[in-house]
Amino acid sequence: MSAESLERLQRQVGNWTVPLPSKRVRQLLSIALFLALWSAAVRVGFLGFDKFVGPETTFQTMLSALGGTPMTDGGETIYEHSAYSALRVLVAVTIAILVAIPLGLTIGTSRRWEDALFPALEVFRPVPPVAWVPIALLLMPTFRSGVIFVVFVGAFFPILVNTIEGVRTVEEEYVQAAASLGAESRDIFRHVIIPATLPSIVTGVSLGVGLAWITVVAAEMIAGGVGIGYIIFQAYRLLQTDVVAVGMIAIGFLGYVSAAAVHQTGNYLTRWQEID
Amino acid sequence: MSKHDSPTDDPTTAGPTPDSTGKTGAIDINDLSKIYDPEGERVVAVEGMDLDVEAEEFVALLGPSGCGKSTVMECIAGYLEPTDGEVLVDGNTISEPDPKRGVVFQENRLFPWKTIKENVEFGPRMHKGVEEGRAESILDEMGLDGFEASYPSGLSGGMQQRAELARLLANDPAIMLMDEPFSALDALTKEIMQKKLLEVWERDNRTVLFITHDVEEAILLADRVVIMTARPGQVKDVIDVDIERPRDPEVVTTDRFTELRERALSVIREEAQRALEQEEGG
Repeated sequence: MSAESLERLQRQVGNWTVPLPSKRVRQLLSIALFLALWSAAVRVGFLGFDKFVGPETTFQTMLSALGGTPMTDGGETIYEHSAYSALRVLVAVTIAILVAIPLGLTIGTSRRWEDALFPALEVFRPVPPVAWVPIALLLMPTFRSGVIFVVFVGAFFPILVNTIEGVRTVEEEYVQAAASLGAESRDIFRHVIIPATLPSIVTGVSLGVGLAWITVVAAEMIAGGVGIGYIIFQAYRLLQTDVVAVGMIAIGFLGYVSAAAVHQTGNYLTRWQEID
Repeated sequence: MSKHDSPTDDPTTAGPTPDSTGKTGAIDINDLSKIYDPEGERVVAVEGMDLDVEAEEFVALLGPSGCGKSTVMECIAGYLEPTDGEVLVDGNTISEPDPKRGVVFQENRLFPWKTIKENVEFGPRMHKGVEEGRAESILDEMGLDGFEASYPSGLSGGMQQRAELARLLANDPAIMLMDEPFSALDALTKEIMQKKLLEVWERDNRTVLFITHDVEEAILLADRVVIMTARPGQVKDVIDVDIERPRDPEVVTTDRFTELRERALSVIREEAQRALEQEEGG
C-alpha cells in the first residue's frame, strides 16, 4: 500500500472522509487559537492576565492608531513612532555593516591585526548592548544619537564575529586555484575571500538586524523620547494596556518585514549557492 | 615571444630557459623529500624522489593510494615547500604558484560564486587581459556552449570537470598538473574527457603531469608511465608507452596495450601489497 493511500485511509473516520484543511486554513486556525487563548486568559485572570487588555479592545485601539490618532500623551502617531524606531535601526545597522565587515575581513586575514584588535573586542562582546545606555546618555545627550549608538553596539558583534568566522573557513583550495591562475594577493582578497565570506556575512547581518530591534526597544524604553519602545513603556506608566499591546504588535510587524527584506537581499547576493 | 612566456615579471627567477629545441615546460625533480609533522607525528610522504619530465611530454604518475603522488604535485604547483631537494621548471627553482603551471583536481575547484564564463576568463583577467570571444570558443570546444551564464552548482559533475579544464586551457599554461581529474566521473564521461584531453594535448604541445591510480588511463594517455613506490614515495619503475599517436580509447584492445598493462600491474601489485602491510603494521 502506498503512503498516499495509507494517508487517505487514516483520514477516514467510519464512513466519513475528513478532508485535511489547506495550509492557508491551518495558518488562520493557528492565529484564531492564539486569540481565543489570549481572550480566555484575560477573562479568567490566568497568571494575572485580568490586568491586561483582551484582543477585542486591542483591535479597536489598533484601528484607531492606524487611523492616525496620536499615541499616549504625545502628539505623534503610530507611523511617526514606527518611523523613528525603524530609522534608528536602519542607521545603526548601516554603520555596523560599514564598520564590522571591513574590520572582520582585516582580523580574519591578518594574524597581526587579529592579535592587536580581537582580544579587546572579546572583552566587550559579552556586555549586553543595553548596558551601554548610561554611557551613551553621558556622551551623547541627544536621544537620537544615544539610542543609535546602543543599537549599533547590538548589531555590530554578530556581523563582526560572523565575518571573521567566514574568512577563517574559506577553503584553501580556492585560494590555491586562484594563485595558480595568476591572481596576486589583492585579487585573491577581492575575488575569493570576499565572495566566499559573503554567506557568513549575510548570516551575521540578519542576526544583527534581529538584535538591533531587541536593542532599540529596550533603549527607547530608557532613553527614547520617541519610538515604539518609548510608547510601549509610556503606555504602561499611564496604564493604557491596549496601547502596550498595539506597540508590541507594531514592533513584531516591523521586525518581520525587516527580517524578510534582509533574507531576500541575502538570497540575491548569494544566488550562486546550491539550493538545498 | 613564445605563447607560454608569462608577461608577469618575477624578480626571484630568471626567465624560462628553453631546452635545445626551444620548448618550455620541462620539470626537474631532484632528490625531493617531503616530511609532514603534525603534532609530532612524523610522516615521510616522499623521500629522495628524482624525475625529469621533458618539455611537452605527457607523463602519468601512477601509484597506490597514499604514496605521495599528490604531495609531489603540490610541490610542483608551488603549494607546498619541499623539506629537502628541489623542483626546477625550465631550470628555475619554483617558489610559489604560477599561471605557467596550471592545476586541475579531482573535485572541481571552480569558483562557485562566479559564472562559468567568469571562471574561464578569470586567469586571463588576472595577468594578460581578456580576449573577447575566447572563453566562448573554449567552452564551445568543451561542449559547454549555452552554459556561460550558469553557476557551477547548476552543472553536472562531468560538465564541471569540463568547465575546469576550459578554465585551465583559457589560461594557456606551459604545464598542466592534473591530480586524478577524471576519477570521480562515470565510465562514459571519463572516456569522453580522456579523448578531449588527448585532442587538446596533441594540438597544443603542453607538458602534462597526470596523476592517476588507474593503470589503463595512465597507459592510454601518457608517453611515459612513472610508477611510484608505497610511502615514502619514490620512483619504482618507468614504462615507456610506445603506442602510436594520435591514440583513441580503442587502443586498449590491442596486444601491445595488454602487454604494457600487465607489466605495470605486476609492479603496482607489489607496491600495493607493501602499502597494505605498512598500514596493518601500523
